[in-house]
Amino acid sequence: MTASGATVVYESEVTQVGGQVEAFLGHGLLIFFGAQSPVELHDMSVLHKATLEDDGPRAGDLLQVGSTELEVLAVGPVVRDNLLNLGHLDLKADGRTEPNLPGDVCVRVGDLPLLRVGDHFRITRPGNSREQHT
Amino acid sequence: MPDYKSVRVSKGRGGWGGPLTITPTEDKPLIASITGGGIHPVAQRIADLTGGEVIDGFSGSAPFDKLAVAVIDCGGTARVGVYPMKKVKTVDIHATSPAGPLAQFITEELFVSGVKPDDVEQT
Repeated sequence: MTASGATVVYESEVTQVGGQVEAFLGHGLLIFFGAQSPVELHDMSVLHKATLEDDGPRAGDLLQVGSTELEVLAVGPVVRDNLLNLGHLDLKADGRTEPNLPGDVCVRVGDLPLLRVGDHFRITRPGNSREQHT
Repeated sequence: MPDYKSVRVSKGRGGWGGPLTITPTEDKPLIASITGGGIHPVAQRIADLTGGEVIDGFSGSAPFDKLAVAVIDCGGTARVGVYPMKKVKTVDIHATSPAGPLAQFITEELFVSGVKPDDVEQT
């Protein structure tokens, strides 16, 4: 917990890191997929296994990517389904407050971490954020 | 050997690329639905009209070199780029345009987006 009343809505552990992941980091892009995803996608993806999957990210949430903390600036309309159904998430360090593509999760411009097997990915919702019922 | 037929897949509203002509062959018989949540209706329709074999990429094996087409529902960068990168014809349910590090591989000859079942026609 990072603040009183904060809620963790998604948590997973990295199970595999594809050989092309580092090259994608150079483009400000980090791609997650669930372990059940087609093997053809594994080379470019961080595979992870969810231990908690209550919700996808929203703007204002905090992402913990390994030891790096990132505030979510914008979230496209298909992000939640992608994450909860497929374990899939496209994290972009593009600094945008409106997502460029419907699957984008946007964070500040800057380096994204190269994850290792056993690292954790976590989405935390601050306690003062207004509840949205959908 | 099955008697394969061709379909023409056109972009939908707000979509990009195409039209693509999809014809399964003995070497590339698979219509892969890389969509999660089962076979997408667009993939099913392509399979029904062509005689190709539809498979769920998230529960079965869909090797690049066996695919007549990959049907994806990607709103991001990953699936949108990786199939065209491998020269696999790609149909995106979402109305995306080329973007991201793999955009160079996404061409009108390989990619069409914003596709609904009605955009798939027998030729």
